[in-house]
Amino acid sequence: MTTREFKTVGTAVRRVDADDKLSGRAQFTGDIEVSGMAFCRLVTSPLPHARIMSIDASRARALPGVYAVLTSAELVNMETHYGSDKKDRPVIAIDKVRFQGEPVAAVAAVDLATAEAAVELVEVEYEELPTVTGIDEALDPSSEPVHESNFCHEYGYEWGDVDSAFRECDRVFEDTFEFPMVYHYAMEPHTCIASYEPDRIRLWTSAQHPFLVQAEIARLFGRQLDQVQVVVPFVGGGYGSKSYTKIEPLVTALSREAGRPVRLALSVDEAMRTVRRHAARGTIRTGVMNDGTIVARECTGYVDTGGYTDNGVRVTERFGDRMPGPYALANVRVKTYGLFTNSTPAGSFRSIGGPQAIWVCESQIDVVAHALGMAPFEFRVKNLVREGEEVRRGRRPIEGDLEYALRRVADEFGWDSWTSGPTPPGVKRGIGFACGVTNSGASPTSTSLVRFHADGSATVYIGSAEMGQGSRSVMAQIAAEELRIPYEKIRVVASDTSAVPWDRSTGSSRSTTLMGLAVHDAAIDIRQQLLDLAAEHFEAFPEEIEAEDGRASFKGESVAFAALVRNMFGGSGGELMGRGYVTPKHASGKLRQDPVFWEVSIGAAEVEVDTATGEVRLLRYYSISDPGKAINPKQVEGQDEGAAMQAIGHTLFEEMLYEDGQLLNPNLVDYRVPIFTDLPHEFETVLIESGNGPGPYGAKGVGEGGIVCVAPAVANAVFNATGVRISTLPLTPERVWRALHEAGQT
Amino acid sequence: MRPFRLHEPTTVQEAASALADAGGGAALYAGGTELLLAMKSGLLAYDTLINVKSISGLDAIAADGNSIVIGASATHSAVEHDPLVRDRLPLLSEVEHGVANLRVRNVGTLAGNLCFAEPHSDPATLLLVYEAELDVAGPSGSRRIAVGDLQTGSYETSLGPDELLTAVRVPAFQAGVRAAYSKFGYHHRPTLGIAAALAVEDGVVADARLALGCVSPVARRLSRSEDVLRGERIDALTEGASALREVSRLASEDADAVEDMHGGVDYKEHLVRVFMERTLLRALAKNGGGDA
Ligand SMILES: Cc1cc2nc3c(=O)[nH]c(=O)nc-3n(C[C@H](O)[C@H](O)[C@H](O)COP(=O)(O)OP(=O)(O)OC[C@H]3O[C@@H](n4cnc5c(N)ncnc54)[C@H](O)[C@@H]3O)c2cc1C
Repeated sequence: MTTREFKTVGTAVRRVDADDKLSGRAQFTGDIEVSGMAFCRLVTSPLPHARIMSIDASRARALPGVYAVLTSAELVNMETHYGSDKKDRPVIAIDKVRFQGEPVAAVAAVDLATAEAAVELVEVEYEELPTVTGIDEALDPSSEPVHESNFCHEYGYEWGDVDSAFRECDRVFEDTFEFPMVYHYAMEPHTCIASYEPDRIRLWTSAQHPFLVQAEIARLFGRQLDQVQVVVPFVGGGYGSKSYTKIEPLVTALSREAGRPVRLALSVDEAMRTVRRHAARGTIRTGVMNDGTIVARECTGYVDTGGYTDNGVRVTERFGDRMPGPYALANVRVKTYGLFTNSTPAGSFRSIGGPQAIWVCESQIDVVAHALGMAPFEFRVKNLVREGEEVRRGRRPIEGDLEYALRRVADEFGWDSWTSGPTPPGVKRGIGFACGVTNSGASPTSTSLVRFHADGSATVYIGSAEMGQGSRSVMAQIAAEELRIPYEKIRVVASDTSAVPWDRSTGSSRSTTLMGLAVHDAAIDIRQQLLDLAAEHFEAFPEEIEAEDGRASFKGESVAFAALVRNMFGGSGGELMGRGYVTPKHASGKLRQDPVFWEVSIGAAEVEVDTATGEVRLLRYYSISDPGKAINPKQVEGQDEGAAMQAIGHTLFEEMLYEDGQLLNPNLVDYRVPIFTDLPHEFETVLIESGNGPGPYGAKGVGEGGIVCVAPAVANAVFNATGVRISTLPLTPERVWRALHEAGQT
Repeated sequence: MRPFRLHEPTTVQEAASALADAGGGAALYAGGTELLLAMKSGLLAYDTLINVKSISGLDAIAADGNSIVIGASATHSAVEHDPLVRDRLPLLSEVEHGVANLRVRNVGTLAGNLCFAEPHSDPATLLLVYEAELDVAGPSGSRRIAVGDLQTGSYETSLGPDELLTAVRVPAFQAGVRAAYSKFGYHHRPTLGIAAALAVEDGVVADARLALGCVSPVARRLSRSEDVLRGERIDALTEGASALREVSRLASEDADAVEDMHGGVDYKEHLVRVFMERTLLRALAKNGGGDA
C-alpha cells in the first residue's frame, strides 16, 4: 500500500451537523409543518390473529374535525400490498389481522385530540383465530396458518460430502441456542408526512432508503418516479427499523382520502408494533478430529418473522450464510427457515441475522473446544479461514488476515496473562472470546453529483440518510480531499429524491464504502475538469499541473480554481458538475463479487457473575473494527462502540415478551435498553486499517460488526467463570441463577 | 393522549374540593412521571388534572420535633439533597439517590411515588422501617395515617376519592440505630427492596425493624424475622450465622412473593434470603451512630 498524505481524510473533523444538533436547530421529520396538515391516529387490532368481520367508521367520520377514515374499503385504484421481497403487507389490514397492534383503520383529523376521539368511535368486529406464538407453534402443523402456511422462506446450501465427514470424524457435537425478539429503539419513532396531490406525491419521512420508498409509493399509487418526492430530514436513529417502506403507504393513502397532507408520528409503543429483530433458534452439528480440526458443520436454523415477511427472506438467508462461522470448512450443510407468527413483523436490524448466527456459531465453538480439552482461542485460530480463502464457496474470499486480527484483540485485552484475581465470596470472574465474519448485504449501486461553484466552494449531493452515523461529514471529507479544497468549503445536500441523484439505501454498512466511492469519483471528475482548465490556462498538459488548497499550479505560478471556473464562463458566475456512478462494473474492478466486503467482528469480554443472584456484570469489552481506512477515526469508533453497546441489550436484558400473541412490555420502563451505567468499565475498540476495502482509500463498512460478538463472548465468559453454559439470551439474573441452580452452583 | 384541563389550586382545601367536584373525573398531578405515561398509553384517562405543585408551600421540607416533614410536592432530588434530610435521615437521602434516574428524580415526587402505589417502590419499603406517617387532607379536614396503611394493593390506596396526601412525616432513628437498605434488579424499577434498622444496646439487638418490598404487591414489615433478631448479640451475627439464616428463611416465607416480569416466585424467595442476610450484615457493619 502506498501511503498518501491526506488533508482531511483520516482525521476526526468536526461533524458538519454538530452545531445544528447541539443547538436544536436540526430538523427532524417531526419538526416539519406542512400547511393544511391533518393529524393521524391509528385504530389498531387488540387481537393478535383474527378475521375482520366488519368495520363501521360512520360515527368517526361524522365527528366534526375528522377529514377521513381509511380502511381497506378505500384501497381502490391502487395496488394494495407492499414489501421488499414479498409484497404481502397490506397498506392497511384487509380481511384479517396478523399481529396485535396491526392498523385496521386510520383517522385524519384537524388535530390529534379529534383524531384520538374519532379512533374510539370506529367499531370493528373481529372473529378471533387461534394465535401462533413463537417458533415451536409456527412449526406445529396443527397450528392455524398466519398466511397460506407458516413458512415464509427456506434457504440452504451445501458443499463437500457432509454425511461421510460426520461418519469419519472422531467426535460429533450438537447444540441448540436461542436468540430473543428484540426492538431497535431508535430514539425517534417512525414519523411521516404525506401529501397526495393531483400531479405529485410528496413525503417527508424518517426513512433510511428514500429511493426505495419513492419506488414503492410510485408503484402503489401508479405514479412515475418523477412524480414522487421523498424528503428525509435528519433521522433520529435507524438501525434498520426504518429500512424499506414502513408507514409511508398508509399515510399516503390516508392523505388521498383526506385531500390534504397528513402527518403520523408513532409512539414507542406503536414503533414496537411496527418492526423488530427476528428471534432465532439455531442448531449446529460439528464434526471434529481429536487434534481439533473441524471437518464438518451442519447448521439448521429458524427465524421468527412475525405477521408479515418484511425482511424475513434476507434475514433467513443471512442467518444461514453466517452460521458456520469464519472457519475453513471442507464440508458444510446449511438449512434455514423463516416462519410466520402472530407478532410484530421482523425486518432489518443492524447486521441482519448476524448476531443470531454468531451467537449460535461461537457459543458452540466454545462448547466443542472445551469438550476437546483445547483452549477456545487456540481452537478458533487452528480452524480459521486464511486470507484469500473462501469462507463461502463462490463468494468473495476473505480479504483480511483474521488470525492477526484475533491475536491483536487478544494481546490488547491481555488474554494470555489474564487471571481472575481475588473476588468476594460467591462472585466469579471469567473471560470469553468470539469472532465472526459477516457478508455485507450492500448492493454496489449508488450515484452522486458534485457542483463546484464559482467561488471555489462545492455542494455534494448524496442519497444517504443522516441518522446519526455521520455520513454527511464523511462525504464532505472525501469530496474535500479529492477536490483539493478545505473541508469547510463543502456543503452536503442529502436524501431528497427530487434534488439528489439515486442511491439504493442507507444500510448494510454501505454508505462510506459505496456512496463514498460515488462522491470520490464525482469529485475526481471535477478535479479532472479543473486540471483541463488549468492546462489550458498555463498552456501545459493536465498531468503537469499540481492541484492543492483550491489552487492549480504550474512551474511556480498558480491560479485559484474559482478563477478557472469563472474564466470558463467568461464572467462572474458558472459552475462545474461532477458525477460518480457506482455499479457492479465499477472501474476499480472491486465490486464484481458478492459480498462487496466482509465485515470482521471480534469480541473479548471479561465478566463477573454474582452466583447468589445470577447477576452478570460486564467488566471489560474489547472489540475490533477494520474500516480498511478510517476516513474519520472517531466515527469508526462511534459505530463500533454504539453497536457493541446496543448488543449489551440483547445479551443481558432485552427481550420482547409475548404471551398468547400479546406484547407484555411495549414501553421503555418494562423493555430494558442499555443505559450509560451499563457501560463496561473498560470498553475499547481496536482499530486496524488493512487498506483492502473496495471503497475510497481502501475503506469498507464498519456499522454492524460491533454488534455480533458481544453475546457469545459474554456467554463464553460466563461459562469460563462458572462452568455453566447458557444457551438462551438474554442472560438475565434470573435465567443465569436458574442455570447455576440446576448445575448445583448456588 | 387525550386533552385535559389543568387545574392549578393554590391551597390544599381548593385541591380537595376540586377533587370532590370532579367526582372521579380528575386526578392529582405532581411530577407526572407516572400519571402522564399511563395517560399517554391510554391506561388512564382524566378530563382534569389538579396540579399539586401549584399549592403554595407544599414543597417544603422542615423539622417538627424529631421528625422531618416532607411536603407532597417535594421531588426525589429535593429530598435527597435537603440538608435536614442528609443530616437526620441520611439513609433516606441515600435511597432517594438510587431511585430511578436523574430526570425522574428531578420532577418525580416522593408523595407521587407512594400514591401511585406501584408495587416496585423503594421509599414505600424504606419508610416502613422509619415508621413514617402521612398527612392526608380532604374537604372535611385532615387525618394522619401510618405509611403502611396507605397502600392496599397494586395501584390501590386507602385514600378517599377527594383526599390528597399533603406531607410525609419521617421520624429520625434513635441514636445507635444501624440501618441499611438494599435493592436489586435490572429493570428500571427494583425487583426487590429490603430495609433494616437495628437498635443496638450493649452489643445486643434491642429492637429490629425489617421491611420487604417489590416482591409482592404491597411492602410489609417482617415481624417474625424481627422477633428472631431481638436479643441477639451482634458479634454472633456474622456471615452464615444460624440466626441470620433463620431471619432470612422466615423473611422469604413471609414474603408472599408473586410472579411478574421481575421473576418467578422461587427466584424472588431466593433473592429475599440472599439480600436479607446481605442487608443485615451491611447494617451491622455500620457501628457509628445514626443510620449513615
Ligand atoms: C424510568 C423510571 C424509573 C423509576 N425507577 C424507580 C425506582 O428505582 N424506584 C422507585 O421507587 N420508583 C421508581 N420510579 C417511580 C418514580 O419514583 C415515580 O415515577 C415518581 O416518584 C412519581 O412521582 P410523580 O410526582 O411524578 O407522580 P405523578 O405521576 O404526578 O403521580 C403519580 C400518582 O400519584 C397521584 N398523586 C400525586 N400526588 C399526589 C398527592 N399529593 N396525593 C394523592 N395522590 C397523588 C397521582 O394522581 C397519580 O395517580 C421510576 C419511574 C420511572 C418512570
